[in-house]
Amino acid sequence: MTEWWDKQIQRADHLAPKANGSKELLEFYAQLLRAQKNIYEFLRGHKHWLPSGDLEHDLPVVVNALPGFLRVVESCGPASLAAEAADLSQADPQVLAERLMMYWGNASDIQFFEKAALQPYLRWVADSGARPVGREAAVGERFCPFCGGSPQVSFLQNKETTAESGNRDLICATCLSSWEFRRVVCANCGEERPAKLGYFHSPEFDHVRIEACDTCKHYIKGVDLTRAGFAAPIVDEIDAAPLDLWAREHGYAKIELNLVGV
Amino acid sequence: MEVSRRTFIKTTLIGGAGVSVFGFSLAPVYAQTQGLKIARTTETRSTCPYCSVSCGVIIHTLGDKAKNAIPQVVHVEGDPDHPINRGTLCPKGASLEQDIVNDRRLLNPQVRRPGSDHWEDISWDVAVNEIAVWTKKTRDETFIDKDKSGYTVNRLETIGWIGGCTDTNELNFLAVKTMRSLGVCYFETQARV
Repeated sequence: MTEWWDKQIQRADHLAPKANGSKELLEFYAQLLRAQKNIYEFLRGHKHWLPSGDLEHDLPVVVNALPGFLRVVESCGPASLAAEAADLSQADPQVLAERLMMYWGNASDIQFFEKAALQPYLRWVADSGARPVGREAAVGERFCPFCGGSPQVSFLQNKETTAESGNRDLICATCLSSWEFRRVVCANCGEERPAKLGYFHSPEFDHVRIEACDTCKHYIKGVDLTRAGFAAPIVDEIDAAPLDLWAREHGYAKIELNLVGV
Repeated sequence: MEVSRRTFIKTTLIGGAGVSVFGFSLAPVYAQTQGLKIARTTETRSTCPYCSVSCGVIIHTLGDKAKNAIPQVVHVEGDPDHPINRGTLCPKGASLEQDIVNDRRLLNPQVRRPGSDHWEDISWDVAVNEIAVWTKKTRDETFIDKDKSGYTVNRLETIGWIGGCTDTNELNFLAVKTMRSLGVCYFETQARV
């Protein structure tokens, strides 16, 4: 699974120098991915320990994995995040533990530290064969079947060797798992009428598009891996941040904000 | 004070520029946004008309839903969620877009006269009239009301009808009624889906 993190990091490093408007976002995200990979490796390498999936039970180990992550945010993040990271570094570990537990019970995409810290933990929970415990996970095809999280980004990928069309998957914003989801369906409200679903493309981002719903006025970005097989959806989604601003200007709200807050 | 997600996002993304929810400056992102050329497409799930396999397709239509704009098909692909074809299409189905958008598509009736070596354009009125005249003449001359054994058969063996795969149910219904009433035996609507 560390290869997965490496792929995201390499993609962010590759895109950042060439990025136009989102250069700063990608440079930060590359550093954040490295910090998340370190959390993952710390948890995976912790001797005589496997995650139970119950965060309350696993907290002592998880909190021990976070100082390096906080230092990265403090040194690379924008002023507000850096100040908060500095405060958390100085604070009693119990403060961070309580924040993580609150997020565990009721996840929100505006809680940067909690979301970023628990993504690698939940990935390791998934990879080790455990399941999240003690969460009131939402149920339904638009929620992650593993942890109940909302979708961060969708992507199209060929699954039939003879098919040219891409099957659609969603990536969970909470645990970064992916699950199959139907095409031509709103990932937020389940709208299926074609006239209500708009797909917005721009030649500047050939393989990324806005998948918007005129019924619930929400959108998610879609990355087409049949056009760019080397893309990493959660990274390319950040690279295409200008599309987010365009969507907001046109009255659409994002289902789940990413870790740079767009 | 408890701040809702909505309030939080509103206060940090006012006017498009400003900063992101986590404090990143979005001025350069906003500048790039201004230069984007955005096109809206619609994806409509449908069924390939060509054969009885009935593969699922997704038709991509370009258009911004403006009142007087005519949407244009820009792409047709196999529907990966369809249980029959799971995203695959045969070569004929894969060329379905060209059935809809094709500058070689005939827009007027044509006729090749006896002895002629080329097709000539004719008007719809001429075509309808000529079909009616030739149909009546052929039917009058070759209609079979009784067979050799004296059984009443009321059939017309000198006219045939071949339908197209993209003909609608309504057209096929009318074709069957018309051909049956003329006594035509050799007809095929290709209504298999």
